[in-house]
Amino acid sequence: MNISYEWLREYLDLNLSPRELAKYFDQIGLMVEAVKEIDGDTVYEIETYANRPDTLGHLGVARELAALLGLPLKSPSWPLAELDGLTTDLVDIQVLDSQLCPRYCGLVVKGVQVGPSPEWLKRRIEAVGLRSINNVVDISNYVCFSLGQPLHTFDFSQLKEARIIVRRARKGETLRTLDGQLLELTPDMLVIADESKPVALAGIIGGEESGINERTTDVFIESANFDPVSIRLTAKKLGLMTDASYRFERGVDINAAPLGAKMAASLLGQFGGKASRGLLDVYPNPRKPKSVPLRLKRVGELLGIEIPEEFVVRTLTALGLKLNEQKPGVWVTEIPSFRVDLEREADLIEEIARFFGYDRIPTEVTPARSFELPADERQDCLWLLKEVLFHYGFDEVINFSFGDREKEKIWHTGYEPIELQNPISSRASILRTSLLPGLVENTVWNYNREADGVHIFETGKIYFWEEDGKQREEWHLGLLTSGQREAKTWNQPARETDYFFLKGAIEDLFFYLGYEAPSFEPEDHSFFQTGQAVRISIKKEPVGYLGLLKSEIRQAYGLDKLVYGGELNLEVLFDRQPRPFAFAPVPRFPGVVRDLSFLVDSTKNFQDIYGQLKKLNVPYLERFEIYDRFEGESLASNQVSYSVRFYFRHESRTLQAEEVDRAMLDIISQLKSGLKIQLR
Amino acid sequence: MSSLQEKLEQYRQLFNDLAAKTKNSKEVEELKQTFLGRKKGYLTLLFDELKQLPPDDKRSAGEALNKFKTEIQQALSELEERCRRPEAEKPPTDLTLPGKKIYWGAPHPLTLFQKKIEKIFVSMGFSVEEGPEIETDYYNFEALNFPPYHPARDSWDTLYINDKLLLRTHTSPVQIRVMEKKKPPIRIIIPGKVYRRETPDPTHLPMFHQVEGLVVDRGITFAHLKGTLDYFIKALFGEKIKIRFRPSFFPFTEPSAEVDIECLACHGQDAQCRVCGGTGWKEILGAGLVDPQVFKNVNIDPEKYSGWAFGLGIDRTAMLAYEIPEMRYFYENDLRFLRQFNRK
Repeated sequence: MNISYEWLREYLDLNLSPRELAKYFDQIGLMVEAVKEIDGDTVYEIETYANRPDTLGHLGVARELAALLGLPLKSPSWPLAELDGLTTDLVDIQVLDSQLCPRYCGLVVKGVQVGPSPEWLKRRIEAVGLRSINNVVDISNYVCFSLGQPLHTFDFSQLKEARIIVRRARKGETLRTLDGQLLELTPDMLVIADESKPVALAGIIGGEESGINERTTDVFIESANFDPVSIRLTAKKLGLMTDASYRFERGVDINAAPLGAKMAASLLGQFGGKASRGLLDVYPNPRKPKSVPLRLKRVGELLGIEIPEEFVVRTLTALGLKLNEQKPGVWVTEIPSFRVDLEREADLIEEIARFFGYDRIPTEVTPARSFELPADERQDCLWLLKEVLFHYGFDEVINFSFGDREKEKIWHTGYEPIELQNPISSRASILRTSLLPGLVENTVWNYNREADGVHIFETGKIYFWEEDGKQREEWHLGLLTSGQREAKTWNQPARETDYFFLKGAIEDLFFYLGYEAPSFEPEDHSFFQTGQAVRISIKKEPVGYLGLLKSEIRQAYGLDKLVYGGELNLEVLFDRQPRPFAFAPVPRFPGVVRDLSFLVDSTKNFQDIYGQLKKLNVPYLERFEIYDRFEGESLASNQVSYSVRFYFRHESRTLQAEEVDRAMLDIISQLKSGLKIQLR
Repeated sequence: MSSLQEKLEQYRQLFNDLAAKTKNSKEVEELKQTFLGRKKGYLTLLFDELKQLPPDDKRSAGEALNKFKTEIQQALSELEERCRRPEAEKPPTDLTLPGKKIYWGAPHPLTLFQKKIEKIFVSMGFSVEEGPEIETDYYNFEALNFPPYHPARDSWDTLYINDKLLLRTHTSPVQIRVMEKKKPPIRIIIPGKVYRRETPDPTHLPMFHQVEGLVVDRGITFAHLKGTLDYFIKALFGEKIKIRFRPSFFPFTEPSAEVDIECLACHGQDAQCRVCGGTGWKEILGAGLVDPQVFKNVNIDPEKYSGWAFGLGIDRTAMLAYEIPEMRYFYENDLRFLRQFNRK
């Protein structure tokens, strides 16, 4: 809202320069966003709030400043040049829906000479950022930006039968507006009609036919009050926003209507206009002022500082409230009709704080009767997970949660995506159902910008419809590795990433987060090359997958380099308790190490062999390491060679060689039966 | 006898000279043969000589010879070991060459900044709460005292899924969810993603991050809000930062405030400043005392309890802190941008 310094002076005897005044706006929350010099006037662009329609006119802003600066608020008089005829004889006003139009004031002004506005009026109109049109239109805008009361002026001769009917639109009715649009009206919309048809969309915009033009001599002034919700719904439905609708949907002072009409009629008098006698005021259910209780004690309790009673009374009175003292420090206040926002004690306390000055309220540490324990371990877990990945050299990315419906189709994530009703663009029309498409986009972006390799991860949610039609959001981890992992240096050749780098990182995630080692089962997946993907499970429950990205997907994104990707459902992990940590004593007696090399059938994969070794039931066996594996060369094609190092230890004495020998024999016999191994 | 000792010394010198020249395991093997060869090795021959010495001399000479043999064997095995190692690991001749580096991944700047904020509040006894990103109109608006069809909703432009569901426009619905299940005292912060139907520009994107704070207890005042935020902002931006509280409007707080910090780019010295527009201030958060209607909506008695809440845009605050000119950098995920933050 633009506020003019000169315009404010119609209501205030200001002895502050325009610069000095700017500071005071900020203090009471009328934030000055910009200050402009226009034609010798100073114009403040102030931020207004949805609950303060009274500050959408200069009078309301002047009232705030008057209260702050302790100045009297002037009320200019609006003398009328009057006709002989009574308004009621000249025009017939019927309000058929007093719910949507609680008050309607009208006056007829005859003999107006329509023409350009005088200089003073033009300056006012241009100061608030409008274009001067003609004296009649400018006057109605002047009233609107003075009082915050929107007006509408009709060419009286165009109103059939000199009738004004405030009613809901009939099905099929249309209205051509002042700006030439043809609106199709529906019965939920309130219109101003004459005898035959709508002439204006109530509180939003007038009709073209009944608008003011150069030939107009007689003007009908409408100064009315309309229901905020109805105005908002109609304006939204038709995609219209006008200075009038902006004010009405916020709530216009119900008592401003008569003054608005008189002010306009008085100003039209400067252009030969003579007003009909007696304001027509249809106000069937006059509203009682709201009354709100206020306790001085409560003011101090909430603000954290005792505010002097004298200050409270002075400020609220200056803002137009009437205070009726019930007992010392307790009042029932009567709220003026222009303050639609004041309804509860808390609202009054805000007024007191605002004028007292937020900067004068002390700063104190918030006391605590108890401190909160961490809500859960998820956040710690999430951070630890990230640290493991940083250690592996993965950079963290954050992508938008949106997805491209077309692009996600090539991924076949298997989830029913959640679509947005009003997306920003078709490329962001759904919520993502996997983190990998975003990671692949990041990879393309970086390869196009000189990257030699991309190793990234993201933790975030995916979103989908469950089978029962409920929405679900799930925390996931997406991982991607592609291209060069270590650059060539003087003492080392360049190294490319591979599947096992990614798998190692995932295995370590489980380890460092305290979960048992997951199992990896070869299983095809829509993201990955056939035979190049595994499912990751923990105790048979699937938690994710990893593999080599399908070449079709790479091609769709224009990626040449191989890409390895993986995704974990973190909900599955976080729902499980990590193994509790327990200290194990450091061994005091030396261990014994024995190596064993053997051949197994190549149909057994590593996980089978590891599983068998894990199951070994042998005394003193502390742990084992598989330190070598090879195939080919001298071996038969259906054989693989493994070398395993076994570590034996007794916790309270040194082991005898014979004991270890026996244990090794035991191991060999168990492996022979379990894996059909052949010793080498 | 002294001749044997002298020979020993000569051989020791010879061995060291030859050993210094060996370049590969073949040469080491040759050296080994030269000294320890079964028939003609120098040391083998010396041992032969030893046998002819008188018993008195034999002992001391024998000891010296054995010591030399051990020395040679050890030196040889070290040489062999060195040859077996790959070329790269041989001790370099130029000790000023760069050392070996291990790359650490970079945390995303928003993660980093969120972590910083969480740390400050956790140190004041707050816990970190979370909530869904897909919300209902009730939690996102109604329970927070936005009347239906009120223009106050216009500042929270919403992405809708259907008539019932929307993407949360702020983290405030989690306030309601927490107050519904937990009785005061409450002392929490709520970080997370939020969504607005905004046309992208340097400081607006359809998704960004917020952190919400909420305290509910007996006797909580506006002064407490001021004190806590004052501490928080100073912990984040340094003790000397200038802070300003000014009145504002949010449906879910009363009184409401907006908090500005001095412009870190111009400190109020540049009337043409592109960061603050010449005002010298940058708004960083909205706050206020919890509106009594919000308390009523979650069955907390506003006569017994009071509270404060605040909400801060993580992205925009991180932009100020790191002097990042455009918000889109956070979501482009350009490695040249991201990797700068593993030093922060």
